[in-house]
Amino acid sequence: MEVLKAGFPFVTVSMAVPALASILLFLLPERFTKFIASTASLTVFLLSLVVLYLFDYSRSETVQFYEEYFILEELNVKLSLGLDGLSLLMFFLTTLVSLVAVIWSVKDRQINTRLKEYFTVFLLTESFLIGVFASFDLIVFYAFYELTLIPMLFAIGVWGYKLRLYSAYKFFIYIFVSSLFLLLGIAAVATQHYLNFGSFSFSYFDLLKNSYPSGLEIFLFLLFFIAFAVKTPVVPFHTWLPDAHGEAPTAGSVVLAAVLLKMGTYALLRFNLGLFPEATLKLMPFLVALGLITIIYASWMTIVQNNVKRFVAYSSVSHMGFVVTAMFLLNHEGLRASVIEMFAHGMTSASLFMIAGFIYNRLHTFNMESLRGSVRFMPLFAVITASTAFAAMGLPGGSSFWGKFLTMLSAKEYSYLLALLVLIGGFFSAAYLLYLLKTLFLDVREEGILIHFQDIRGFKFAAFLLLLLPILAVGFLPHLFFAMFDGSINFILKHLVGLE
Amino acid sequence: MDIGQLVGTIKFPRLDVFMPELAVLVTAFTVFTLDLLLPSAPKRKVLPGVTAIGFIVALMLTGVSGRLSGDTFYGSFTGDPLGTLVKIFEISIALTVLAFAQRYYSHRRSFYGEFYYMLSFTLLGAMILASSYNLIVIYVSLELVSIGFYILTSLLRGSFVAKEGAFKYLILGGLSIALASYGAVFMYIYAGSLDLREILAYEGTDHHYLILGLVLFLIGFAVKIGAVPFHFWLPDAYQGAPTPVTAFMASVGKLAFFIPVVRIMPLLQEKFAFAWMITVGTIAAVTMLYGNLVALVQRDIKRLLAYSSIAHTGYILAGVAVTEVIGLKAVVYFLVVYAIMSAGAFFVIAVLERSEGWSNQIHDFSGMRFNIPYMALAFMIYMFALLGVPPTVGFVGKTLVFMALSFDRLWWLALVMIVSTAVSTGYYIRLVVLMFMKEKEKDLSLRGRGYLEAVSLLFLTVLTVALAVMPGVVWSLIGSASESLFTR
Repeated sequence: MEVLKAGFPFVTVSMAVPALASILLFLLPERFTKFIASTASLTVFLLSLVVLYLFDYSRSETVQFYEEYFILEELNVKLSLGLDGLSLLMFFLTTLVSLVAVIWSVKDRQINTRLKEYFTVFLLTESFLIGVFASFDLIVFYAFYELTLIPMLFAIGVWGYKLRLYSAYKFFIYIFVSSLFLLLGIAAVATQHYLNFGSFSFSYFDLLKNSYPSGLEIFLFLLFFIAFAVKTPVVPFHTWLPDAHGEAPTAGSVVLAAVLLKMGTYALLRFNLGLFPEATLKLMPFLVALGLITIIYASWMTIVQNNVKRFVAYSSVSHMGFVVTAMFLLNHEGLRASVIEMFAHGMTSASLFMIAGFIYNRLHTFNMESLRGSVRFMPLFAVITASTAFAAMGLPGGSSFWGKFLTMLSAKEYSYLLALLVLIGGFFSAAYLLYLLKTLFLDVREEGILIHFQDIRGFKFAAFLLLLLPILAVGFLPHLFFAMFDGSINFILKHLVGLE
Repeated sequence: MDIGQLVGTIKFPRLDVFMPELAVLVTAFTVFTLDLLLPSAPKRKVLPGVTAIGFIVALMLTGVSGRLSGDTFYGSFTGDPLGTLVKIFEISIALTVLAFAQRYYSHRRSFYGEFYYMLSFTLLGAMILASSYNLIVIYVSLELVSIGFYILTSLLRGSFVAKEGAFKYLILGGLSIALASYGAVFMYIYAGSLDLREILAYEGTDHHYLILGLVLFLIGFAVKIGAVPFHFWLPDAYQGAPTPVTAFMASVGKLAFFIPVVRIMPLLQEKFAFAWMITVGTIAAVTMLYGNLVALVQRDIKRLLAYSSIAHTGYILAGVAVTEVIGLKAVVYFLVVYAIMSAGAFFVIAVLERSEGWSNQIHDFSGMRFNIPYMALAFMIYMFALLGVPPTVGFVGKTLVFMALSFDRLWWLALVMIVSTAVSTGYYIRLVVLMFMKEKEKDLSLRGRGYLEAVSLLFLTVLTVALAVMPGVVWSLIGSASESLFTR
């Protein structure tokens, strides 16, 4: 993998801005908090637009804006940050969703205590997430990956709903314990580099050259896989997610669903496929099966949920099932589908959680029964809800269409039966989203207490717009996004096939 | 041989490598004398001051003599990078203990002159223990450290818990020293030498004596470091001791008692390596599992941290099982940083104990963030460090142990370590949740803030993060320490 040194340290700066802003928050009185937080995240978002503009799309497999600082020379631990096409997309997703989360929180009436800490949580999460997606050193990646846990633990535990403490514990313990396997895996991979080449290294570029005895490779693959499967999540490791997402404050759920889950699939693609190609090829049927089980099982679970946030949470699981299935089909269309679906799901799930949060603000309940017909007198909000739901369903023109369609195409290359299974999964996701729309729009309550609700406006409307535009962009202009990451997935595929 | 010839064989010892110990020794005797001579009013100011000055001088001398290495006192004392590294941390932590102890005792309206010279003597023992291969010297310094700890533990007059802890420690500690010295005898019978390097290099015919000797010697040390099943004294002693002393035992004590074991690691011959790996590995696995499982049900914070200390003994022993350079590096790094983490955690409790209505129960931590946010923040950092969350030293330590274990393909031990860390998540996170996410139950306030304490705590907390983010600071020392041991 080639690297292109950065002229200006964009990645470091976009990590430093939120971190420094969070320090500034603490020094200044509380009335400046919202202003500083939104300015900081807006700055980072604008920076990411600049990076999008400056990125050289003709060689997207190259790691661009690359910076390198030694942490421990002897063990080859480097703070190596950079963006290839895949990282760039995730970087953009992070800055966008963080901005949305902060803008949303500015007017969120649920958040009324410990404001400084609240915004610090989101700024730090943004900083750490950029670190996750930009690190090309495994131990630094791991450090950022774990660091995102701490602010999220606080977001759930402090500003969450009724079961917040239980959910916070569960969230932390699931993710932390599963990532210990990853830590062992990383240590073992670095040690293997020592046994192969005579020096320890945690650098992704060095580790691509590693070779393993076959049994060891599968073992290491599984060590990595456990961590990322819990994060993604893949059934049966998903039980932390409905609790965490269901109990987190709205902005917390947004960041969790839209970006934190992507850490799992991003890392699966980058590390599991990249570092253990032979094991991936051997285990592929099981992994595809796991993905399909995730889609179908989570869809069933979605339909029976009574709590609208848990409903959206389970729908996230089923969408991530598409990402995993498509990824392990291991062909060009499949990887394309997987990456575009990651981005698309980031947008739609964020939007769906915000819809749930918005309704909660009006009705003070997440109960599906009491939501019946709740959007009927809010035309703008109804349009937003409908377009998000249709986009998530996979209607052409919406963002998830390409993910689902390309997954089917790539499954068809193996067998029609497999494609049919994916189609059934798509059918279920349409079913539960239609059920949601029916509940919100068509079920009419007799009492008619819903008339006086104010429609969406101001900051919250802006937050929704920021998400709707990319949703439509993915739907209508997918080639722009494919151009961004095609180089990266071709690189990974070449690595896989080259060893076949 | 007449008397002239005998005198002729006496060589004047090289004092340059022994300077730090000498400084602490002089400090100890000076403080002892001053304690006898001075009236009680000026004593309260003079003794801590003199002790602190003595320790600072010793720290500076360690820095100076750190570049020197070599044997002195007829090979019974060895100056080398490992010793220097360990001594730097031992003396620094002893200095912070001084800062906390003064407030701790003055809050109880008591003053113990004994504390200062016993602390110095204990530190002296710990320093000698860190740089000797000679069985007799190891034995004597082990006694010195242990007796110091017995006395320091029971120093609080009228405290029954302290007496109980000290007594348990005394009995098991006596047993351990008896075992270690008995083991030393067998090793002497095997090789005809008291120097561990010569003993382990000796190609004898009858290995039984060596194995018996090593096993007894190591059991003796296993008691001291609190490895299961020899750990029974540890929670009681940690709970009973005055909290600054607990911090001292958990940090400097653990560091010192581990070093002779660490020194045996690179000397082990190839044919014993497998047996060593299995034995130490099994003890490590049992220790970490037991420590964490029992810590999970503790309600007293000091006992909880004591069991967490047992669990950490297990993690470090897992590194000891790997007799390679990377194993040694992992062990030395983890030992040093564990000293920092545990000292910091106990110091926080030492400060909290001064606030009214504090009973050392974990529910006392509820809502601490609303009363004393900075203490809560510091304690949270220690909890995350002990758990091994990046970017703290505990994380780097665990990573290094994992690297060592995968070097020797000890997957089963690594998996046991993952399971036991998973168990430990329960109690560390519970404290964080209590401090930051629960409503406060009672008002806590810090009484008698001391800036020395604040500086010490800040120093340790910063180190907890800094040594992980910039490990290069200690790594050069660790690297040269472990490589010099292996090339010998």
